[in-house]
Amino acid sequence: MRPPISPWIIFLASIITSNMILANFLGMCSYLSVSTEYKTANGLGMAVTMVLVLTSALNWLVYEYVIVPLGLVYLQYIIFIMVIAALVQILEMAMDRFLPEMHAKLGIFLPLITVNCAILGATLFQVIRHYDFLQSVLFGLGSGLGWWLAIDMLAAMREKLAKVKLPPGVSGPALAFIITGVVAMAFIGFSGIFVIQ
Amino acid sequence: MDFMIVAKTVGSLALVSGVLAVIISIADKVLNNYGQCKLDINQGQKQLTVEGGSSLLSTLAGQKIFIPSACGGKATCGLCKVQVLSGVGAGQVLPTEEPYLSEKERAENYRLSCQIKVKSDMQLLIPEELFNIREFICELVELEDMTYDIKRLRLKLPPGEEISFKAGQFVQLYSKPYGKVKEEVFRAYSISSKASEKDHLELLVRLVPDGLCTTWVHTALKVGDQVRVSGPYGEFYLRGDCEELIMVAGGSGLAPIRSLVYDVIEKGLPHKMRFFFGANTVKDLYYMEEFARIEKDYPQFTFIPCVATPEAEANWQGETGFVTVALENQVDSGQGKEAYLCGSPGMLSACIRILKSKGFTSDTIFFDEF
Amino acid sequence: MAERPREIIKRNLFSDNQVLRQILGICSSLAVTNTMRNSLVMGIGLSFVTALSSLTLSAMRNVIPHRVRMLVQTLVIAAYVIFLDLLLKAYLPDISKQLGPYVGLIITNCIIMGRAEAYAQQNKPVASMLDGLFAGLGYTLVLMIISLIREVMGFGTLFGINVNVLNLQTWTIMIMPPAAFFIIGGLIWGLSARALRRAGKEKEA
Repeated sequence: MRPPISPWIIFLASIITSNMILANFLGMCSYLSVSTEYKTANGLGMAVTMVLVLTSALNWLVYEYVIVPLGLVYLQYIIFIMVIAALVQILEMAMDRFLPEMHAKLGIFLPLITVNCAILGATLFQVIRHYDFLQSVLFGLGSGLGWWLAIDMLAAMREKLAKVKLPPGVSGPALAFIITGVVAMAFIGFSGIFVIQ
Repeated sequence: MDFMIVAKTVGSLALVSGVLAVIISIADKVLNNYGQCKLDINQGQKQLTVEGGSSLLSTLAGQKIFIPSACGGKATCGLCKVQVLSGVGAGQVLPTEEPYLSEKERAENYRLSCQIKVKSDMQLLIPEELFNIREFICELVELEDMTYDIKRLRLKLPPGEEISFKAGQFVQLYSKPYGKVKEEVFRAYSISSKASEKDHLELLVRLVPDGLCTTWVHTALKVGDQVRVSGPYGEFYLRGDCEELIMVAGGSGLAPIRSLVYDVIEKGLPHKMRFFFGANTVKDLYYMEEFARIEKDYPQFTFIPCVATPEAEANWQGETGFVTVALENQVDSGQGKEAYLCGSPGMLSACIRILKSKGFTSDTIFFDEF
Repeated sequence: MAERPREIIKRNLFSDNQVLRQILGICSSLAVTNTMRNSLVMGIGLSFVTALSSLTLSAMRNVIPHRVRMLVQTLVIAAYVIFLDLLLKAYLPDISKQLGPYVGLIITNCIIMGRAEAYAQQNKPVASMLDGLFAGLGYTLVLMIISLIREVMGFGTLFGINVNVLNLQTWTIMIMPPAAFFIIGGLIWGLSARALRRAGKEKEA
């Protein structure tokens, strides 16, 4: 059942060859709307990575010990989403209590992340591919880092391009897509190093 | 459909939701439990012990100290500034507070009280006037239509209670849930009644299309209802360091001006007053007889109503055009004068431009923006 | 302030198209558009879920307590998505496999939540259902355009039927992610520029 791939290969592949955004198109809405300023994009990337690792781990446990034993596989979507929402809420409370400076920086992004398809997407991928616990956690971590990398790159480029005169209609989402397409093409150059999907 | 499957689905979803809800509540109790916090206000003038975990704004309100807020804690009005000397994450201003705090304010430790949470003991500096602010559950004794979209509310304070305010200040009116609106909202309205009358309040509320509070006032409120207000608030009041007062208002902006006019008269102050009242059409005019009477009885007061586009059938004989036109023509210089303006942002900026061109300065122009 | 059905339809299909003007629902727009068959199934599936969710949420709008609003919306949408997923697994199993997790991801698709918040909350059930249905169809329209380009150039087929009569070399990048980004970027650019030109003309007039 468990694919015979090293968790570390999965980790590296999810950043480079199977990047959440550049190869899997997940998490686009917030990727597009928050990438106009580098500082905020960086903050969001950090928050997404943190949530992804925790949800991957938690949802694996929920799947193995709650969903499968109780025969609730057909309800997995709902259960996963509820777990994600609850986790994000508790994470926000915990950050506010124990890491207030981080909460001041990232706190506003957390509610946004609940509906980010990258989170649910990572969970669904790990379930479909039958990853074990370590593979899932490293997959979540890598996916988050890959997402963070992509949004940082886009934000850095958009900040520079904001100072340049562009043809009418292109600035904004259209430009973001074209840039992302070029970056995605560049990342295709890595394909073949690791294959996980 | 197999009954067992339906039962299992509903049951397991209920179970999972239940478990998660319990976990969240426990987390809330444990994590949000900041214990008792001591608030030291104005270097020992007031010491409070409160439950931590809520915003400073709501915590203080719970202690009957009302910091002004027009937006209800959403960080969109910037009115709830308080100086926090200690007890809040060392100088880290939140991104939501940034637009409202200038460099100078940050250096002086000003924060938006609706955005900071009470987590530990704090030392605060709160302006004296705010201690005068109280909450009143009043009874609506009169509700009169002044024009087709402006209503006058007369509120009676609870027996034995009084409100001390300076003419020109405003109160916050709290609407109740009605129709599709599920929550309580509050908005600011200037007091139009005389400052000498301490057991009653009058407000002028103009219906704003899709406005949550104004729609409540115009459709759900009835005479005899209980209405919650808090106040008084505001920096718009008489300074009087001059010989003449130039007052300009549009629409419901008349409210604070009316209070100011009566204040000058009742206190027997010597200032001359000229009140330019702007309206779009003759239908928008109100309090005409009252101001005409004041003009007759008190020669120091002149009333200049201006109608922008009067209807033909109204046979309007007074000033026509925007109030700015009359202002331009009839005010010669800012020498020895103070200006008091209340109206829409557009009207205010146009009038301020004209007044400044006549010699008024930022120190002699006072305005209350909607 | 009720909109006439014709206006609801026109608005959702063109002037306020969820994908190209509102920039919502992007994730799946890009992922499934490498063949027209997948796009069609995804599009119809999403329209179905959006229509029924908007209908249900609109019917319930006056009884849902304010604080749990988002939770209830998510649950209703998730329920319909599960229903759709099971339908696909039963009747179109090979397409279901190809679409993979993206069917489940319809739950997080911003279009459905967006219509629920923006329209179904304030309007009557039938109007909301129409709004949801055509928001989904507007999305389907865009998906079909993208997948038309991608499938014809990338595979040389149209709905699986070979149209590459001249046996030209297929353009492989078309079936890879970058092409999806470029095509959607180009479409948004085109519509944006057109809207700007229109606004400019109106200003002058």
